[in-house]
Amino acid sequence: MRQWWSSASIRTRLTTWYVSTMCLMLLVYASATYFAVRHEFYEQLEDQQRDGRAEVLGASRAEDRVEMQLNEILVVLVLGIPLIVALAGVGGYVLARRALEPIDHLASEARRVTAERLHERLSVPNQHDEIGRLAAVFNETLARLDSSFAQLRRFTSDASHELRTPLSVIRGIGEMGLRETRTVPEYKEAMGSMLEEVDRLTRLVDTLLRLSRADAGAVPLRRKPLDLGQLVGDAASSLAVLAEERNQQLHLDLASGVIVDADPLILREAITNVVDNAIKYSPKESAVGVRVARALNCALIRVTDEGPGIPPEHRGRIFDRFYRVDEGRSRDSGGTGLGLAIAKWAVESNGGQITFENLSRGGSAFEITLPLTSRSEGSLSVQQVNDTKGEYAS
Amino acid sequence: MRVLVVEDERKLAQVLVAALKAEHYDVVVAVTGEDGFFRANAEVFDLVVLDLMLPGRSGLEILQALRQRRVSTPVLILTARDGLDDRVLGLDLGADDYLIKPFALPELLARIRALLRRGRPSDVLRLKAADLELDLVTRHATRGTRVLDLTIREFELLDYLLRHQGHLVSREMLAREVWKEPHRATPIDNVIDVQMTRLRKKVDVEGSPRLIHTIRGVGFVLREGEP
Repeated sequence: MRQWWSSASIRTRLTTWYVSTMCLMLLVYASATYFAVRHEFYEQLEDQQRDGRAEVLGASRAEDRVEMQLNEILVVLVLGIPLIVALAGVGGYVLARRALEPIDHLASEARRVTAERLHERLSVPNQHDEIGRLAAVFNETLARLDSSFAQLRRFTSDASHELRTPLSVIRGIGEMGLRETRTVPEYKEAMGSMLEEVDRLTRLVDTLLRLSRADAGAVPLRRKPLDLGQLVGDAASSLAVLAEERNQQLHLDLASGVIVDADPLILREAITNVVDNAIKYSPKESAVGVRVARALNCALIRVTDEGPGIPPEHRGRIFDRFYRVDEGRSRDSGGTGLGLAIAKWAVESNGGQITFENLSRGGSAFEITLPLTSRSEGSLSVQQVNDTKGEYAS
Repeated sequence: MRVLVVEDERKLAQVLVAALKAEHYDVVVAVTGEDGFFRANAEVFDLVVLDLMLPGRSGLEILQALRQRRVSTPVLILTARDGLDDRVLGLDLGADDYLIKPFALPELLARIRALLRRGRPSDVLRLKAADLELDLVTRHATRGTRVLDLTIREFELLDYLLRHQGHLVSREMLAREVWKEPHRATPIDNVIDVQMTRLRKKVDVEGSPRLIHTIRGVGFVLREGEP
């Protein structure tokens, strides 16, 4: 029975429910009516007898008549109920079909949607009813799937492009080198150039592997309480030479005693990438600011530059893998196009968030927020940030 | 110094042999796991370079079997899988060091030197090359009569180059050993290049022979005369 119930269609189940409920209610209603009428009849009969108006003979006849009338009512009720139930059942069955029809329709529409046709949407007949809401939810899911598929496709094509570029360089240099006999310094030059490309490929593959491992959640985090000012100071200071080469001012404004729970190596990577970006895109002789502060409920790292900022059309995608605002430029500087993607992963895996804004005075600001540890009120011994500040600078 | 190389990929094995021979090691190659195990067990080597992915008998099995037979030759494993498990497993089974493919030859040679040097005290107080001297106690650097004014990073860099003098060091080695960055990243590569340029300006002034050389695509070397 249970098996039949769960294997039956919703339509059958609805109708069965409906019919049984109707049966039960009609039975109760009919019996209540019958007994109420019967009670009424017999009371009237008794009243008449008490009044003494009826004769003894007439009394028994009256009783028979009442009995007969009651039987007639009973027959009507007993015959009528199945008829009504049958009619209602058929009606319910038809109604259920009409109510469920849009779902069948939705199902057959959804069946047509495949990975290749993810841009298609289901038609929403009436957006206010249940079916409409269901279709709308379906469509939202499809939109999300569509965008992740699009991202994946873009990533695959970007990745193969990035991998092919060094490969074709290596191939070209090799082929050119073999075309005619050359001098030893020329061969050395060619091989060195090939090795540079190999190095780039290696770095790219390493980074991709790390990101895919991060996607699979297979990168173990070694979180521990650490002084954010110190960590950021360290990371920024080791990049200070790059700013110096470009005659840029690197302003460090590091609050001490801002303690976060994070994996220092991974978080440091994020900071290095963001600060390096700021130095790279800020023009010569400009200023790059790195600030660590305690915000309301979180720790804050803010990196500002005086570069061109990021055009609005790129804003949504700057953290995407291989996404580059300026195709040629960052490739020349040896970047993999994965720096910000790594930074985003590194921050988020430590429970933080990374955001970006264009500044009204020009330039851009990257902001990293991280949850503070509960012990952030300086109960840890914190080495003076100033001690490490000058160490790597120069 | 006798080194056994167990590597089934012939091209890589050839490269390893050539590189080790150039460093004057006596090299023996085994291209299968069985052969490698047999030789490591029967002959005496100062070091074994062992690939983990071998046909027939895996590198880990060989390593385990060797250690069970109390063969204590230092073993450096090579693996293309840099999953943490493989590394930990290898080291647990008694490997002395590991390298992930694709590795740079200078790095492999440096690791081999370190393994062969192990156990011998190497507490040096002074490092020298030509007329360049580094006093590790007072942290003074001099070239001839000239005192070099080095930053902490530059001193560390020169220290590292001097310890590996005559041998190539890759950017990867510098990033890990001097900058303590476990992952390759473009920013650090750029930093290394800038620091190296600055160091060279201080060390190799005009009039004295060049000591620090850049080998394109490979890295750097501190050496008297031509690289």
